[in-house]
Amino acid sequence: MKSNYVVQLAVVAWLVAASTSAWCQSGQPAKAPASVPGASATTASGAAAPATGRKADRALRRKVYAAIGKQKEISAGDISVTAKDGAITLNGSVADASQIDKVVEIAKGVPGVTSVTNKLAVKKPFGGM
Amino acid sequence: MKLKSCCAAALAVFATAAHAQSSVTLYGVIDTGMLYQSTSAATFQPHAPNLGHVYQLKDGGIYASFWGLKGSEDLGGGYKINFKLQGVFNSTNGKFGLADTPGTTAIFNQFATVGVAGPFGTFDAGRQIIPMIYAMAETDVRGAQYFGSILTAWLGMNQAAGWPGTSTNAPIGALYDSNALVYNSPKFYGASVALEYAPGGVGGQFQGGTRESAVLKYSNYGLNLSAVYYNGHDTNPFPLTYPAAPAVPATGLANNRFYYFGAMYTISGFSLSASYGVGKNPAKSNTADFEMISGGLGYQFNPRFKVTSGYYYLKDRNHSANHSSEFAVGAEYSLSQRTRAYAQVGYVDNKGTMNQTIIYGAPVAPGESTTAAMIGIRHTF
Repeated sequence: MKSNYVVQLAVVAWLVAASTSAWCQSGQPAKAPASVPGASATTASGAAAPATGRKADRALRRKVYAAIGKQKEISAGDISVTAKDGAITLNGSVADASQIDKVVEIAKGVPGVTSVTNKLAVKKPFGGM
Repeated sequence: MKLKSCCAAALAVFATAAHAQSSVTLYGVIDTGMLYQSTSAATFQPHAPNLGHVYQLKDGGIYASFWGLKGSEDLGGGYKINFKLQGVFNSTNGKFGLADTPGTTAIFNQFATVGVAGPFGTFDAGRQIIPMIYAMAETDVRGAQYFGSILTAWLGMNQAAGWPGTSTNAPIGALYDSNALVYNSPKFYGASVALEYAPGGVGGQFQGGTRESAVLKYSNYGLNLSAVYYNGHDTNPFPLTYPAAPAVPATGLANNRFYYFGAMYTISGFSLSASYGVGKNPAKSNTADFEMISGGLGYQFNPRFKVTSGYYYLKDRNHSANHSSEFAVGAEYSLSQRTRAYAQVGYVDNKGTMNQTIIYGAPVAPGESTTAAMIGIRHTF
């Protein structure tokens, strides 16, 4: 429910953003900050893996982060790693396109990882692309 | 995608001793969009009138347009010499960006550095973008972009403290510092430190014109944490009415202090950020003492498309009537690896003497609530 609300809000925001004429004065901005607490609830519940193998999932997630964190040029704080029964999903961003393959390789090399789904985007540091 | 310049090849041929591997890269970005803003002002002067709505071609919807040259030489043993020359230009009229003195521009106003990188970290000397602003960008879902972000909030604080927007010398913190010596440590289990010292170069004085800053960062497990301390001496010597009124002579008095703490968490496509900052003039805190609070939320739909939003609040701790709230939301779509299209809207509610802008480079009058919308494109070369 909550995630639906967030997605709806995002879509509305996108539609507003896409229209160049901005006569929507105070209505939109006044209500939009309300999305912040709603979304924090969503991320909190989304972070929790299902009860079966939850402990193992968490341990695997930590191992993948530890492996990525060893690479000094990659900021693992911008990367989301989620694990479910050996299947890893990578989300978030890296600073350069060449780092995407590297992170995927590192994740694949962690013992216990059976598959890696890569959704990483490129986000240049401040001032860049 | 970066193009190796043919000049580099030519230089390499002419260089007599070119046994070490080295390269020069020419690179840059052009960012141009259409901006609509419901109010506008010509300057950041305290009584600047509202000139009405404006519809304009605008540089820098995400970050400024810039170009640069950079290169490195491998010394062996894990050591490298790096250089970087980089400056912004306005894509709508071709002009160079602000220098550290009002009324002048600089070709390389972002970077003019030479430095060494090794197992100890990196050390760079010269004018540069300093660690403070990276630390803020990494704990803001809006990434300290030019439109509605921690950058415009921090600039809003500077405008309230008397920054006329005509030089890069800000009264609270700094984005670019001249004469800077910056050390960046390697990451240790995700933690790193950055230190800056800029000698003032003022004759007969040790403290005159100096700046020092320290940044502590953590980045792992989807979490970015930043802590910033910045302290400057004589950092805004140019009065609002410069050059009619002369620059204030350096005294060595600490008059620019900024603290910032920020966090950003990324999980399954969502990003969430929050920060708290205080900026003041420690020598005269009754003239400048401000608080900055931010919150951000973003969602990455797929590797090409994301929506980010942020809320920024400024408060004058000396006069409670002066405060400002800003909300911005933006969507970015990558057309290719090198080109990105964006659309964004923002709203700012300025009260009292506050004149926080929605986008860098488009001033608003004090106390005027304003809406802005922009669509544009950012192309890397």
